[in-house]
Amino acid sequence: MATTTATVSITSSDLTPGSPLSVSASTTLMQAGLTTGLTQMETGVIDLAVSTEFRIGPLATQVSGSAHDIGSYLYLCNKSTDGTYWIDWGIHESVIGLLYAGDWMFIPWNASDDDAAIEIQANTGTNSIEWAFFNSNFVLPTDAG
Amino acid sequence: MATINATINIGSDISSYPISISKTMTMNKAGTSTGLDETLGLKTKKFNSTVAAEIATAADLTNAKAHKLYVRNASTNKANFFYIAYHATDAAADTAEVIGKLYGGDWMLMPYNAATDINAASSTTSVQYLEYMVFADGVVEAIG
Repeated sequence: MATTTATVSITSSDLTPGSPLSVSASTTLMQAGLTTGLTQMETGVIDLAVSTEFRIGPLATQVSGSAHDIGSYLYLCNKSTDGTYWIDWGIHESVIGLLYAGDWMFIPWNASDDDAAIEIQANTGTNSIEWAFFNSNFVLPTDAG
Repeated sequence: MATINATINIGSDISSYPISISKTMTMNKAGTSTGLDETLGLKTKKFNSTVAAEIATAADLTNAKAHKLYVRNASTNKANFFYIAYHATDAAADTAEVIGKLYGGDWMLMPYNAATDINAASSTTSVQYLEYMVFADGVVEAIG
């Protein structure tokens, strides 16, 4: 069984004066609802030209057919160095955030419906983007609740 | 101006060649090299129902900026999770747009444009704790 771990550390000595910020977390990424490690991954690097859209990872329909609600994880990094460069990222047609040069993000993704693909679009310049996507095909049968 | 650094490390042996990702970012205001200097604070919320709760309020933040949202499922049970959704009122399996499911111990850090609220809903009526923090690129002043 494969083991995939993701850790984060967020620090600041001056965001809240007198109370340095130090937040950290670590998790082992598992198949949805299980304690079994993920089994699939894909990685990539692209140069994304301005106004160009790109889908990151598989189509929602490719992940689990008509049964969605899986567990998977995406790391996405804008490797551009010009601080004015940015891409927007979203799911389906909803733009959720702006990923500027030098920024990274890490999210779970559950492919909630057929249209729930993760999409990015460059808005200034040609952005160098890298990503890693981790998942498995296991489908949680029903909500635990 | 403050300096906020966030470092991610990912290691995996899924493939025959080991994956090792390490990256540090400094959280800056949109399109500048000026650090973010506002936060709505680190919060911990107890959930004991499946009713959605707002964890980031778009109206509190300047729209279309480089906000960051950190969220962690502070519980340890890998059978339970939180739906995290980019939606004004809801978070459930079929909510558009659900971002993903945050299982026990899982965390996420994402850029957020504050055009719509972020909601979280527990998958269970058992007690789960969610920890979250907004790093803001502009907080809208409250109207008294």
